[in-house]
Amino acid sequence: MGGLTMNTRVNPDFEKELQKYGKGNWNECFHCGNCTAICPLSEDGFLFPRNSIRTLQMGLEKKLETSIEPWLCYYCGDCSETCPRDANPGELMMALRRYLTTRYDWTGLSKKFYTSAVWEYAAIAIIALLVIVSFLVFLPLRPDAALMVNESGGVMINSLVAGVSPDRFVTLIEYGDWLMAVIVGGLLITNIFNMYYKTIIADKTVKIPLSAYFKEFWQLIYNFVTQASFSKCEKRSYWLGHLLLMTGYTIMFIIVVVFLPYFQIEEVVPVWHWQRLLGYYATFGILFFLGIVIFQRLRKNPITMKFSHASDWIFIIMLALTTLTGIILHIFRLAGMVEATYYTYIIHLAVLVPMIVIEVPFSKWSHLAYRPFAIYFSKLKLATLKEKSVRKLAPAIS
Amino acid sequence: MNSSSENGNEFHQKVHPDTLVIGAGIAGIQASLEIANAGYKVYLVEKSGTIGGHMAMFDKTFPTLDCAACILTPKMVEVGQHSRIDLLTCSEVTEVNGYPGAFKVKIHKKARFVDQQLCIGCGSCAAKCPGKAPSEFDSGTALRKAIYIPFPQAVPNKYLIDPESCLYMQTDGKKCGVCVKFCPVNDCIDLHAMDEELNIEVGNIVIATGFKIFDAKKVARFGYGKFPNVLTSLELERLINAGGPTEGKITFRTKDKKGNWVFKPDGGAPDSVAIIHCVGSRDENCNAYCSKVCCMYSLKLAHLVKEKLPATAVYEYFIDMRAFGKGYEEFYQRIKKEGVHMIRGKTAKIEEIKGSLKLRSEDILNNRIIEQLADMVILAVGLEPSDGVKQLSEMIGVEIDANGWYKELDSLLDPVGTARQGVTIAGVCQGPKDIPDTVAQASAAAARVLQSIESLKEVEFI
Ligand SMILES: Cc1cc2nc3c(=O)[nH]c(=O)nc-3n(C[C@H](O)[C@H](O)[C@H](O)COP(=O)(O)OP(=O)(O)OC[C@H]3O[C@@H](n4cnc5c(N)ncnc54)[C@H](O)[C@@H]3O)c2cc1C
Ligand code: SF4
Ligand code: SF4
Ligand code: SF4
Ligand code: SF4
Repeated sequence: MGGLTMNTRVNPDFEKELQKYGKGNWNECFHCGNCTAICPLSEDGFLFPRNSIRTLQMGLEKKLETSIEPWLCYYCGDCSETCPRDANPGELMMALRRYLTTRYDWTGLSKKFYTSAVWEYAAIAIIALLVIVSFLVFLPLRPDAALMVNESGGVMINSLVAGVSPDRFVTLIEYGDWLMAVIVGGLLITNIFNMYYKTIIADKTVKIPLSAYFKEFWQLIYNFVTQASFSKCEKRSYWLGHLLLMTGYTIMFIIVVVFLPYFQIEEVVPVWHWQRLLGYYATFGILFFLGIVIFQRLRKNPITMKFSHASDWIFIIMLALTTLTGIILHIFRLAGMVEATYYTYIIHLAVLVPMIVIEVPFSKWSHLAYRPFAIYFSKLKLATLKEKSVRKLAPAIS
Repeated sequence: MNSSSENGNEFHQKVHPDTLVIGAGIAGIQASLEIANAGYKVYLVEKSGTIGGHMAMFDKTFPTLDCAACILTPKMVEVGQHSRIDLLTCSEVTEVNGYPGAFKVKIHKKARFVDQQLCIGCGSCAAKCPGKAPSEFDSGTALRKAIYIPFPQAVPNKYLIDPESCLYMQTDGKKCGVCVKFCPVNDCIDLHAMDEELNIEVGNIVIATGFKIFDAKKVARFGYGKFPNVLTSLELERLINAGGPTEGKITFRTKDKKGNWVFKPDGGAPDSVAIIHCVGSRDENCNAYCSKVCCMYSLKLAHLVKEKLPATAVYEYFIDMRAFGKGYEEFYQRIKKEGVHMIRGKTAKIEEIKGSLKLRSEDILNNRIIEQLADMVILAVGLEPSDGVKQLSEMIGVEIDANGWYKELDSLLDPVGTARQGVTIAGVCQGPKDIPDTVAQASAAAARVLQSIESLKEVEFI
């Protein structure tokens, strides 16, 4: 789909440019249609991945830039596995998602991060350094920190810094959280609006009635929470792994940003307490996913893991470091190791903060928002098409 | 291999006038007849129990829809009766020595267990035989006995025993032996007959070992071997053939009393048939090459289904329609006019739903997904080199390409010669091709052989 009129300018070098975002022999495709037919998520109105390959081969950059299809693909790899030309159509959808992320981002940073690993490393290092320096300068370890152990032997984590009361400390961290959330959220929201503009407003072929926005709204929530589309893929284990990661990550994110005062507390709560259980679930989910993904990426098998973009490894490493420092922090705390707890806490934040600030608005994590919105937008478009009965619903042959 | 020094002045050697032809499909038959009719002796070595190859299995041939048997049977009979053709069935070449112009060839001739001279072809033996196996000639659509004749027009028109399915041979003579009792001719059946080794000398060798069809089970998502009514094209050829297991009716695969899946005349007819092109061809996951004949034979099969069952809907799912020869494009247009639905887009997968087959494909020209129900699906399987080409090529000292097809000397100027003098290739063994091209190449190979004998030209030793 997509307005044909405005999207017909040809960029003959586009294929070459896209190779920076993912690797595939996309020019090898001879349009047998196998991939689109085997794709469990492709449906009338939103046919992919073959249509995207065709558009790419024709160099219609604008048309791809305004397409929703890449977000509807969950990269199960079925299409690439069975493609008779080894053209790797699934990886094209992945590359397009990376590319689109850079297009939605108005700051231009995303493009820098995706096309140059050096830029991304540098950005991570700068933010990490900022975190470490602010701690050491403004919130240093208090001289009598060794005493800050509660009756069960655990470190009283909020009482470690000099000159700041425990309550104040939590509040400070919370402010930091909120500041980060506002920056990240603000960027993400503007990016989503950009996406909305490119995929919906700029597409003059469909006019979406206001009512549809409300009618289809549940899709947004539903798809975000359940990743229902993914479960259509035949490989259910992929869906499960992805769901574990997604829920684990989101839970952690919400706890840390919204419920910090309840989470980061002085006493050590019993193991079956909700916050410890949630924390363990999240940690397990993330670790489980990480283990599988690292193994698969190193083996380059299944086909979806054959090509790893630099951003994939950075994401994995950052997530692994965050999780590991989190676990170590937890252990040090329980063991009553005061200094170790303090420094691990700083390192933990020095990994976590850049990961969120860079990944969420500019890189891989943004898909957490783009994907449900894309599904929402696609339903909006489908709804209008159905209403106008443009959609050739009944195949002539059945 | 430089035997010139030993032979001294005989470096220039007269070519032995006899010729060995390996494989007796239409290519081998054509080459043998051309050479034999020119006055020279031919040893025609065929692996199976009859000559004819794949062409003998078809009812009609594209694009003229000529009756295959009407063209082939007279040639087969001529081969069988020819005084200058020594036909060796159930035989394979096991050793090739010597040099061009004077090859020394060893042939392993398996026992047929039925005397070729004495058998009168009455079939009394087979009527009583308890041993059964899927019929090779019927492409497994029906069963044959352990003592059998591949098909009524087989050449030689004599019975033979397949040791694999014979109870007597499988039990070391403890069971059965019934055929011997019922055979009206004395000493005709010898259940203890032995294989033979033959040594011959020939001046030239023609390789015409043809092809085997792609094993459709390898593409698991089409469900061949799992869903009974997913068929290969060769199976459908046998159903359509009046001499086949269903007497020419297109019917469903059903279970017989013993639990074997077979086709019977009363199996019920499909209301819709879908044909999927390029199965096992043009695919990096199996064979990257185009098998060249399957587009055309699919059109032929679509026509024949329509002819037999006019009310049945026929669909063809293709990537590109390759109608490359004289009269072929016209044939394609004709079949379209007959009401066969042509869909550009290869089916991706087949599921079975309540006995019906659901195909999911992209209809590329109409920008939509088609989920279609069909009663029967035909897989247009590609062609692959027949078994044993590697050993044979090494034995003879000729090359095969990465796909296993014999390498011609020059694809433009010498498509029948090989890098080894005195060895020519004909038919599909050199690469996928249809019958007209096969016959043309076989005649060309024969001409090359005759030239080398007639001119009394010396060959160089290689
Ligand atoms: C389903 C189907 C339908 C077709 N329909 C048509 C059609 O309508 N028109 C058309 O023009 N073409 C058609 N073709 C193509 C046609 O079958 C071939 O062009 C033709 O059969 C090639 O003949 P051949 O002699 O080269 O090979 P084959 O027919 O395969 O004969 C080879 C012979 O060699 C024997 N052999 C193999 N290896 C050895 C060995 N090591 N030693 C001794 N013998 C050996 C085999 O047993 C066989 O008898 C069709 C093909 C298929 C699969
Ligand atoms: S399966 Fe491969 S060759 Fe076929 S349309 Fe898709 S990408 Fe192209
Ligand atoms: S990777 Fe899976 S979901 Fe994505 S286009 Fe291919 S088949 Fe569809
Ligand atoms: S011995 Fe028995 S099983 Fe074997 S061919 Fe004769 S009748 Fe058949
Ligand atoms: S001849 Fe047609 S069906 Fe056969 S491989 Fe070539 S394109 Fe495919």
